[in-house]
Amino acid sequence: MIRLQIPSHADYIDIVRVCLYGIASKLNFSYEDIEDMKVAVSEACTNAVLHGGSEKEGGSLIDVTFQPSEAGITITVKNEGPPFEHSETEIGTGTGSPPLQGIEISELPVGGLGIYLMEALMDEVSVQSTDSSTEVILTKYVSE
Amino acid sequence: MKSQQFQIEQKETNDSYILSLGGELDLSVVTQLRAALEPLMERTDRGLVLNLRDLKYIDSTGIGIIVSVLKYRDGINAPFSVKDIPPSIQRLFDLTGISGYLSEGTQG
Repeated sequence: MIRLQIPSHADYIDIVRVCLYGIASKLNFSYEDIEDMKVAVSEACTNAVLHGGSEKEGGSLIDVTFQPSEAGITITVKNEGPPFEHSETEIGTGTGSPPLQGIEISELPVGGLGIYLMEALMDEVSVQSTDSSTEVILTKYVSE
Repeated sequence: MKSQQFQIEQKETNDSYILSLGGELDLSVVTQLRAALEPLMERTDRGLVLNLRDLKYIDSTGIGIIVSVLKYRDGINAPFSVKDIPPSIQRLFDLTGISGYLSEGTQG
């Protein structure tokens, strides 16, 4: 298990991507899979930065863990603070049709794509929230 | 890491304002991109073009900005287009469905 802790600030999300790239490369993931994971993990971090608790609530840090397994990798992104809005009900899950489709331009949603992309790009996504913390668990399998 | 740094280059041609984006577009550079876009959003005298040729990374934050530009320009009936989309970024545009809106009304 590899652990990384970053300040809950947008300026550090690229560090998580760099770290992920290094770990995923060693696990023989394809270039495309690594690019997919970079986006998914960034989405989780973006949510944590935007919706994490205030410093007083202990929300000033984001914990990221990388757990390689024989089949692939599981990445968790955890922040203190109340859960972020789950927009799943609004835009459907990653297995459905693209969220920005068949809508008048003026009606297009500007946000809410993060969860959709995580689900579209990873093999498994789960969000575990308590009153005081939110954890996003992302799993990707190495494809042969 | 330097080469990944987000960059915005602005150019003007006879018929368009062109913003060329390079590096990584994530939450950390949203303010910078919005500031560059703001003075151009209202300009109806020329088209607005986003050139993504040197963009290495985008996520929902950047796609959200493109959606908001698309909506605004459509609302004031002004041309807007996105050009030279790298394959890895095109894939995300296809996944979210935004590509369907970018290929229409490409005049600009």
